[in-house]
Amino acid sequence: MLEIKNITVEAKENHQKIIKDLSLTIKNGEIHAIMGPNGTGKSTLSKTIMGHPKYELVDGDIIFNGESISQLTVDERGKRKIFLAMQDPTEIEGVTNSEFIKTSIQEISGERINYFNFIKEIEDSVENLNFNKEMIHRSLNKGFSGGEKKKNEVLQIKMLKPKFIILDELDSGLDVDSLKIVCDNICQYIEKYPETSILIITHYPRILKYLHPNYVHIMKDGKIIKTGDISLALETEKVGYNSINEVNERKAYE
Amino acid sequence: MNKIMLKEKKEITLSENEEKELYLLTTEDISLIIHLNKNSHLNIYHYHINKNANIEINLDGENALVTYHFSTINYSSHKINISMNHKALNTSSYLYNHGVNVENQELIFDVVGKILKNISGCICNQENQIINLQDGKSTILPKLEIDNYDIVSTHSAYIGKFKEDILFYLMSRGLSLKKANELLMKGLLINQGSIDKEEVIKFQKEIESI
Repeated sequence: MLEIKNITVEAKENHQKIIKDLSLTIKNGEIHAIMGPNGTGKSTLSKTIMGHPKYELVDGDIIFNGESISQLTVDERGKRKIFLAMQDPTEIEGVTNSEFIKTSIQEISGERINYFNFIKEIEDSVENLNFNKEMIHRSLNKGFSGGEKKKNEVLQIKMLKPKFIILDELDSGLDVDSLKIVCDNICQYIEKYPETSILIITHYPRILKYLHPNYVHIMKDGKIIKTGDISLALETEKVGYNSINEVNERKAYE
Repeated sequence: MNKIMLKEKKEITLSENEEKELYLLTTEDISLIIHLNKNSHLNIYHYHINKNANIEINLDGENALVTYHFSTINYSSHKINISMNHKALNTSSYLYNHGVNVENQELIFDVVGKILKNISGCICNQENQIINLQDGKSTILPKLEIDNYDIVSTHSAYIGKFKEDILFYLMSRGLSLKKANELLMKGLLINQGSIDKEEVIKFQKEIESI
């Protein structure tokens, strides 16, 4: 379970407050979605959970499975099986996809991998994602299309088996067919590991129709202003964020 | 392609129409002179540990081609001089010159591509990178001395640390800073070399020990 308790987050560069007194609790097996206009702090929230060095938690705490992770380094959070599928995955020349995934598995588990099982699993996952097999031997995300980068993030989810997944605009850069494929893969993952929690960050309800969130939150100016179910996402798409009135989020949970 | 051994040699000459792929690991100060005759092709992976180097490549014959992957790990202060001399028509050189400056010491790449006035139809490219793991002082002098208009030439130079967003991406998948740096150094320094080669295996071990 992830508990975000009254966090305030600043950009280290200019001390600008981006997230203001935000609280959110995501229980095991729950799927939450956060929607909101550009520049409202959604991606900052995802990077703060992951411990990005550009952001500073100036108040509040983030608890994962009963342990405060606010002071942990990025890799320590990764080792606790928190996973951020990034909006724009970084391209890294010279580091092959397979070497990277293999090293990550070993670092997280602390054990050497069984090569036979690794190759079988990665090949099956690649096939399920309708992903070109060549991609696993190429430099990490280098020269990948937007859709291929997103599929590569989901490939890593399947291989690293996180317990808490943040999908930061997974739907951007994906055509309708690819979006269905990656969502089908995520649904299969949840079915296999039902305790997994997911936080979806998106602008559009399309991805939510596939992943069926338990809660949808509207975020504005660094705060959650309203919480509901998927109908809130559909309403927002119709009327826009400016027409959404603020409601006490606890009341919405009830 | 054939493989030649030259750990003790300071000079390599490729004869006319000869093609070679060469792996070289050097751990002492080295002065290396290469001559490429007409239509010869050399693809060289040169791994160098913590010493000075003077490397002179002479494209002596028409249509000679060299692809030079030079990688160095630096712990104390050193200078690497590389001179790419196009002395015949239609010669081509591609230099990938990479270094990691581990300690707070000085690493200098002085790299020059030379094309004389009467030598046309050449390609002369150089790409230089030095990664400072700490706060060492690194310098790249990427020079092109070209006296002919009918050539294609590029040069680039980057000095800095591994980018924060790249480290964040790797570490978010559970890799420690040390392991993330190690992966990135291997990517930079192995420089497309085959990981089956003895020289590469030894150089990888050196990277892992950093």
